[in-house]
Amino acid sequence: MKKLFTFSVIILVLLLALCGCSQGNAPSSTQFDPNADFETLVEQARGTTVTFYGWGGDDLRNKWLDTTVAEHLKEKYDITLKRVPMDIDQILAKLAGEKQAGTEQGSIDMIWINGENFYSAKQNGFLYGPFTDKLPNYAKYIDQDSPENIYDFGYPIEGYEAPYGKAQVVLINDSAVTPETPRNTQELLEFVKKYPGKVTYPALPDFTGSAFARNIIYDIVGHEQFADMPADKETVKEAIEPALEYLRELNPYLWNQGKTFPATIGQVENMFADGELVLYMSYEPYVAATRIANGIFKDTVRSFLFDKGTIGNTNYIAIAQNSPNLAGAIVVVNEILSPEIQASLYGELKSLPVVDYNKLDEQQKELYDSVDIGPGSIPQDELLAKRLPEMPAHLIPVIEEIWLEEVVGK
Amino acid sequence: MTIKEKIVGRLLLTVFALTVLVPIIVILVWSFAARWPWPNLWPQSFSLRGIQEIFGGYSGALQVLGSSIVLSLIVALLAVLIGTMTARSLVFYNFYGKRLIELGTILPIIIPSTVFAMGVHVLFIRFGLADNIGGVIIVHLICALPYTIKIMTDVTAAFGCKLEEQASVLGASPLQIFKEITLPCLLPGIISSACMAYILSFSQYFLTLIIGGGNVKTFAIMMVPYLQSGDRTIASAYSLVFICSTLLVFVIFEKTAKRFNKNGSNYFFV
Repeated sequence: MKKLFTFSVIILVLLLALCGCSQGNAPSSTQFDPNADFETLVEQARGTTVTFYGWGGDDLRNKWLDTTVAEHLKEKYDITLKRVPMDIDQILAKLAGEKQAGTEQGSIDMIWINGENFYSAKQNGFLYGPFTDKLPNYAKYIDQDSPENIYDFGYPIEGYEAPYGKAQVVLINDSAVTPETPRNTQELLEFVKKYPGKVTYPALPDFTGSAFARNIIYDIVGHEQFADMPADKETVKEAIEPALEYLRELNPYLWNQGKTFPATIGQVENMFADGELVLYMSYEPYVAATRIANGIFKDTVRSFLFDKGTIGNTNYIAIAQNSPNLAGAIVVVNEILSPEIQASLYGELKSLPVVDYNKLDEQQKELYDSVDIGPGSIPQDELLAKRLPEMPAHLIPVIEEIWLEEVVGK
Repeated sequence: MTIKEKIVGRLLLTVFALTVLVPIIVILVWSFAARWPWPNLWPQSFSLRGIQEIFGGYSGALQVLGSSIVLSLIVALLAVLIGTMTARSLVFYNFYGKRLIELGTILPIIIPSTVFAMGVHVLFIRFGLADNIGGVIIVHLICALPYTIKIMTDVTAAFGCKLEEQASVLGASPLQIFKEITLPCLLPGIISSACMAYILSFSQYFLTLIIGGGNVKTFAIMMVPYLQSGDRTIASAYSLVFICSTLLVFVIFEKTAKRFNKNGSNYFFV
């Protein structure tokens, strides 16, 4: 009996200890003064914890945030960066729940976001802003006239999110298996016919599958007409009909005759790594280099683009409206835009930086010039030269719906 | 037993063992493999990424594993306490609304947890239970209780109260009865329901994420993003640690139970 009692006491103590740990030392946001200058914010942020919520399925990015970025912030500002792996759908669900319950201080500071999710988060008032005008590095190193810093998937940003990294669709295959690199949809069709059953793409609305389908659409019907197209199903369908026709033409030669498609890009990647597929597509332009370095892809794997270009987007960091540590979040976002962190994002993480190369001094430029992007990848200038704008966010769900009705199994 | 029966028995046992062991061996190899295309029997290239992720220190996986085990142990303990008491009252007593409470105990399994999570989230925010460990323990308990109550109800009903009454007639005090009769006899059920509650809590992802809001980081929260993104090396390494730690906890449960029960009969134990 005594044992049982001791055991219960131990459990109780542990329970209390755990409760103690989970109470962060977040300062009250009531102290936050939106008109304070950056130096004041830095002082306020010292010694605090900032949380960063976002997708956590990439070990390289997780490691980069947990080590390079976190250590740099600790050293420079005495800020603890806490990365929380959470899918954007759940982040939005959480913010919605908190808003419904009227929570003035949530637990999310920074959010990794873009596109439709930014659109709905901003529409619903989940985001704090505008804040980019408070960031010294935004003014100094970011090209504010670039369309990608004014619009996110065609939706005005208005200072509610700061750029974080750039992505661009690349196509990938193994030169030892497939010598050809299709440069347009016509050559892709020939490629697919030559390797029947060994090409597929993730089922929409997978992020990458959806981007791949849009890239096909762009190659066939161009991208200009979508900029101001209304999100009306009939209009969109009429505009993309030739592309739908093409996708249906691909089907019989695809994996499983196009009757089904893999659900996620992760599955397509694994199938490509296993040699079950001969083509892989990714929204991470340097994925070939990182996978070769990890031994997942063979070193004969290389990336290529369509002649007319591929879709690129920027991903951003937003700040939650009920963030418990606004000052800290602003300081951290500013630091992520610094040339040094952006250079490590380019060098370590192999993601395209968002700073404007022309705004850097010679020493900073050297940081970027010295980066070895690794095997199988396309240099940054070539990628950017063939970069096409993303489609307006509200058209994407419409296209995904049409694809489900008109392409799968047809 | 004839020789034929023996062979069949052995064969069945081997098949059962293989269906459990082969997947675990595959996970073990994948933890170190980088590229392992079908139909190769052995990986083409290896990588220490999975091991680094867990033991490299930068991800904090081991600390999270520790706190996650403690969290699930607390849930298991509370679930067993509540489950045993609920079962006892449902089996031995008649009271107003008994049927309703019986139905209530299985409700959490009937409602899909995603639906349940949304409603509970708003409620918990109002009660100040969101984003902290207390809320997570309660929500894990809600998921675990239907199972512990069900197991304990059956065990309690099978055991009955005749032995207790007998002891009482012979002059034993309530505490003595509990210690000498009730606890030892219910122990097998208690262990099963503790294991059940533990595994339900330890593998809970969505509810922990919503109620814990990222403030409460459990092992499942760290592991599931890699399962979803299809990173086989890291996902396998996490799964391996998941399986081993759970097995270890179960073994400790059994051992502890046996020590509590060292004077009693070993009838229920294998």
